[in-house]
Amino acid sequence: MVDEASNTVPVDKSLDDGASSRPTIRVQNAAKSFSGRTVVDVEDLTLGTHSIEGLIGPNGAGKTTLLRMIMHAIPLDQGTVVLSSDGSGFETVLSDLSTSRMAQHGVVKTNQVITDFEQLTILDSMLLSIAQRSDESASAIYREQGLYADRADEIQWYLEQFDFEDAFGFANSAGEKKLLDIIRCLLLNPRVLLLDEPTAGLPDSIRDQLMGLIREKAAQDDMSVVVVEHDLHVIWSMCDYVHFMAEGRVVLHGEPSYIRDHETVVEQYLGSGHV
Amino acid sequence: MNLAWLDAFLVYGLFFVVMIVGLALLLHLQLGLARIANFGAVGFWGLGMYAFGVLFIQVDWPFSEVWAFLISMAFGTLVAGVAGLAIGWVIADLDTDGVMVATLGFATCVWIVATTEQDLTGGALGLGGLGFPYDIGSVKANETLWLVILIAVVALILFYVSRVHKAPYGRMLISIGDNEHLARSLGKQSFRRKMWLFAGSSAAMGLLGAIFGVMERFLDTGNLGISITLAAIVALVVGGTTRVWGAVVGAAATIAVFEILIQSYIPFPQAWYGQAIPVLRQMAFGAALILVLMFRPHGILGQMRRDKLMRRTHGG
Repeated sequence: MVDEASNTVPVDKSLDDGASSRPTIRVQNAAKSFSGRTVVDVEDLTLGTHSIEGLIGPNGAGKTTLLRMIMHAIPLDQGTVVLSSDGSGFETVLSDLSTSRMAQHGVVKTNQVITDFEQLTILDSMLLSIAQRSDESASAIYREQGLYADRADEIQWYLEQFDFEDAFGFANSAGEKKLLDIIRCLLLNPRVLLLDEPTAGLPDSIRDQLMGLIREKAAQDDMSVVVVEHDLHVIWSMCDYVHFMAEGRVVLHGEPSYIRDHETVVEQYLGSGHV
Repeated sequence: MNLAWLDAFLVYGLFFVVMIVGLALLLHLQLGLARIANFGAVGFWGLGMYAFGVLFIQVDWPFSEVWAFLISMAFGTLVAGVAGLAIGWVIADLDTDGVMVATLGFATCVWIVATTEQDLTGGALGLGGLGFPYDIGSVKANETLWLVILIAVVALILFYVSRVHKAPYGRMLISIGDNEHLARSLGKQSFRRKMWLFAGSSAAMGLLGAIFGVMERFLDTGNLGISITLAAIVALVVGGTTRVWGAVVGAAATIAVFEILIQSYIPFPQAWYGQAIPVLRQMAFGAALILVLMFRPHGILGQMRRDKLMRRTHGG
């Protein structure tokens, strides 16, 4: 799958286990309230049956909270979140796992708010992402070059594609930080990638390039992607399936064209003048 | 080799400075990289010293003294490491204030136990009977050799720390210290990593304590106060908390200046050496700390420079 001449991202072959079916996340009876106000109340929702799914809804609908509940960044008041990783029927209860274990199971989320390591350079961030536990053993004090060499093609590919000002330096602009946040997640070779407003703060050209890459990776690697996004052009153009949330509940699912024209969505979210 | 210039005072002064460099280097791993604010270094150091000393002196060893010595030293290191693991488990999820209080509390516990368990430790009177595991002639020769051994141990720690900065392990520790939540979301097991880092560095602190006990030849609870912790922290902060050489530069600029230069060359009245000098030393350290924090908050060497390091390592 490595194709250096084209725009195809080189893939770490060691992690390619040949599994073909798509991982899904099932959220059941999940509820969360803050100070008595129910923010999320989802009865039964399966994410990941399509390669890229959108999650839309008005402000305060609970989209980000739901993603954070899936990631266990917010503890659930009740309910379970289960990952079915492939067709074998093997299931992992995500709501029992710590955040770090979740990443090891391939469930990864990008951050809505710009988040970065202040002391780490762009290259540091990328190497941090690809390092496995054995690479980071306290006794592996000569591992750095080997770690870089393992996935040098991939790292160089990202650096060239996205034209970072200085890979050895720190991410300076908000755009660079946001981009780096997403690249860190992609380098983890996720099975399920949750994108929380990925395009906010990104220049248009980078946004299109990044979304193209995610589409490609979703198709190529059997990665399931869930996007929360306010820029609806991104949703309509990228997603195969869309969930519509309002007041903490998922009220509608369907193909983008169905959601786009649905009376409830138009009424509650888009307004009658939408394109 | 003519060692006439090396008087007993200088050997002891250098020994103290090198030991503080060692402690500050270990604190650098904890505080500078993983942001664990350990204010109880003396607890682990003292526990190593006492565990080593008590085992060595109180047990009627059936085999040669050298073996007894080495086994006791390994025991001191191990006990400090196990204590580090237990305290690490307690503090890994606490915020900075909690970590400071817990580690300070631990150091106080060590001091209280050493003072009250008189049968084992000799209590406040102390316990004699420690000595070098060799005899190469004069007291001065023995002490100088012990200084050389300490320098070798601390050089090894320095080498390890400098390698950690260049290794994925160091990057992982920095990421945890910098933004723990983000590091966790990338799969880094911050709790476990901090706990084991704390255990390992505490064990090394214990070893330094045991080495110090041998030089003193005496277990003295007076060493278990805050001053060792303070000396190591001041050295590290003055030199640069996040820099590999911060501990060395900081110790040279504070402890070495005071312990060796000032005390050797300024003719203080003899009567001052009992009470006034230790107080003056604390004041000088405090002043150095305040000045550095005011004018160079990241220490003499300044902030960590990952950009330079990355360019050097991967820049072609």
